[in-house]
Amino acid sequence: MPRIFKFLSCAVLCLGWVGLTDAKDENGEPTLDQVWAFATTSQPIEARNILDDLEGLEPRVETLAEVVLALARPPISKGDWKDIEPVLANLSEEDDEIAARALYLQARMYQVHMPTPDYVRAEELYREIAQRWPGSHWAQLGYVKLGLVKLYALAEPTDSEVRFAEVQVLLDQITEPTLHRDLQLQIGRAGMFHERPLDEVLPHLIAADAVPGMLGITPEELKIQIGELSFRAGHLEQSKLYFEEFLAEYPSNIRRFNVRQQLKKVLAALGETEASP
Amino acid sequence: MIMSAIKKRFGLVLFIAAYLFAVFWVFTQSNPPNFDGVTTIRIAHWQIELGPPDGIDAVIKRYEELNPNVRVKQVMVPGQVYRQWMRANFAGDNAPDIVEYGAWLDGLADLPVRYFQPITEELLEANPYNEGTELEGVPWLKTFHDELLEQRLNSPEPGQYFAVTMSRGSTRLFCNRELLKKVTGSTELPEDFEGMRGLFKQTADYAKLHGNTLMPFAGSRDNALWMMSFYMGGVMNSLSQKLDTDGFLGLYARQTQWKYLNGDWSYSHPQVKAAFSLLAEISKQMRPGYMSFLRDEAYRQFFRGDALFIYTGTWDATSIIRLADFPVSVLRSPQPTQSDPLVGRYMLGHFADGYNMTGFGFYLNKRSPNRDQAVDFMRFMTSYEGAKLFTEKSGWVPSIRTVPIAPEIANYVSPEDGVGYAGPNLSLGGGTRSIFSSNFHHLIGPKGSVDKLAKVLDEVMPPAAREALQVEQRAANWAVLLQDTRIVALGSLLETDSRNPKLILRRERLEAAQNLSESRSLLLRRQLEIIADKGIR
Repeated sequence: MPRIFKFLSCAVLCLGWVGLTDAKDENGEPTLDQVWAFATTSQPIEARNILDDLEGLEPRVETLAEVVLALARPPISKGDWKDIEPVLANLSEEDDEIAARALYLQARMYQVHMPTPDYVRAEELYREIAQRWPGSHWAQLGYVKLGLVKLYALAEPTDSEVRFAEVQVLLDQITEPTLHRDLQLQIGRAGMFHERPLDEVLPHLIAADAVPGMLGITPEELKIQIGELSFRAGHLEQSKLYFEEFLAEYPSNIRRFNVRQQLKKVLAALGETEASP
Repeated sequence: MIMSAIKKRFGLVLFIAAYLFAVFWVFTQSNPPNFDGVTTIRIAHWQIELGPPDGIDAVIKRYEELNPNVRVKQVMVPGQVYRQWMRANFAGDNAPDIVEYGAWLDGLADLPVRYFQPITEELLEANPYNEGTELEGVPWLKTFHDELLEQRLNSPEPGQYFAVTMSRGSTRLFCNRELLKKVTGSTELPEDFEGMRGLFKQTADYAKLHGNTLMPFAGSRDNALWMMSFYMGGVMNSLSQKLDTDGFLGLYARQTQWKYLNGDWSYSHPQVKAAFSLLAEISKQMRPGYMSFLRDEAYRQFFRGDALFIYTGTWDATSIIRLADFPVSVLRSPQPTQSDPLVGRYMLGHFADGYNMTGFGFYLNKRSPNRDQAVDFMRFMTSYEGAKLFTEKSGWVPSIRTVPIAPEIANYVSPEDGVGYAGPNLSLGGGTRSIFSSNFHHLIGPKGSVDKLAKVLDEVMPPAAREALQVEQRAANWAVLLQDTRIVALGSLLETDSRNPKLILRRERLEAAQNLSESRSLLLRRQLEIIADKGIR
């Protein structure tokens, strides 16, 4: 063998060694929690690198992690579907937390990751989670998702009263306050889309407003919406309360002037109401 | 002979060594070699007018003094090519660490979720560069005048903050004060639009008397569309109020698009036609052919004294004031009132000519190899010291609380005294922006009329509006898809640390954000199905 090839072999080995040492975590051995932590911050490549370095993982945990990371780079192709969906189905056959997560993800695949969603199959899977792990977080989150599909995605039932009654049944089974709030907010909002009576919509919006922790512009908009819809429904004191709360709590919202104008109308109407015998 | 062989072998060894080093570097690093321990980050924006680049330069200079191991390069990209530049650089994984972006940029709605990194958690902590100031210990988010309202309104992932902002402003009439006095005998503007009609006549009389081509407004496509959009919005407020069936006291572009496609309003609506009549009136106050002029031509007209006013945003203020060789007043535009003969019956009252909302937003590239340094620079540029340097050198209003605003720019900020419902306008948002301008000749051409423009827009707008709605739906859906992994990953972390309050809060927030995005995506999808059922192509 020419000397140059010996040199190259050594160099390649050295390079491999350097690469390996570089891949190791500076603070010690890689951990599964690091994989999940990277996944929570949308860094699937980093998560994958650590997962590849992990040794001795329980096979079901490793399989779930691989599938979760595969879903982190949407949209999934037909080929991906064949690689992921049966694996999730297989993982979900056991009776543990991994199975619950796998079944939830399987439902999500049918509901949102398919190019044309299969809402029927997704509903079957959400209901299976609730049946096998009643009261679990995944069951309750599944009910929220199922509720959203029923509120917005399905053309049927055309009778909106029936539609909302079905979603109310789901809402009643959700005990986690924030998840309950999320679905209740959407029942109120979808109520406007489906033109439900204001007096049916308002209690849902008011209940959602009462649970803290809503995000972004939503809490500000919700105060305005309750104030305005209450005004339209003739609940003047309620309208005044929410408009005033909005003005006190959100000093930088661009709709403040609009709210102040509406509040003037409410106060004028209250004055008339109070003045009349 | 021997020397020659040694030289050849040495060359080969050197080549192989260099090759191996290059291979090693490519596989283990994603940065250019950093031999001097200095990290370079890049910040890109399109604010290349006079002012902002100086402001950012001053911020960079000071930052580099404080952080000698970091170099910051300012990348200035002309606005005309910025969208294409962004798309190409992000697709090619070559985008700068920090980039300016705006939710209103056509055709880029998918960018934030794909390429930008949320900085929500950093914003909830105090900005260390504010130590020793009034803002010390205040969460970074709370140091912005509006607590980043634009992010609350337009975040692709509700509840997540993706950007920090540098400034705020409004649109104004920039006035050649000396010329106005010559024409009208006063440096004051009329109180309302009816008064402006009188000023238009005075200007025409003055031009005739002096044999020149003086016009009230300097005209170019951009300046004209900004002004027309402002006036049209004012006239449309009462229609938008009626369209606001949800009771938000305002309409998002997606709602306006849906309402249009659902037949709740059209460009043939009498109120829209009245607004078009107003625009036709404004159009006559600019030099003919202005729709084919670029902004530079409008500035030239103004600087030459061929126009009394130029309508633009306060983002142009520094350029205009520095380049004009006459005193420039920055004024609020006179508005039609409820007694206006043309549009008065549609007016809700005084309408907003600026919001207390900060802008000039900078986003963090998700794939930045220098994430920590980039975030650190974002902290400095929006600290008290950074914002003060920026406003002093740029002439732009600062976005940060307690930073002094120079008296000469104080009126760039509008008080809270105007109605603003957004809603129907020249553009319906998304990619519909160009439809109006490419059909505007149906209003002002030799055979143009209000009816003709309305008819043409109602023929060409539906597919564009539907496409804009589809883009919104896809963006919302994209956010949802990415969150499933994160939610299950958080669930997995909680399995081993089930009482960790931070993790619990993160999961609640993430799930709430996904539920909001998902609701929006599903609603838009349903609306698109309804539109398809109606046969709108």
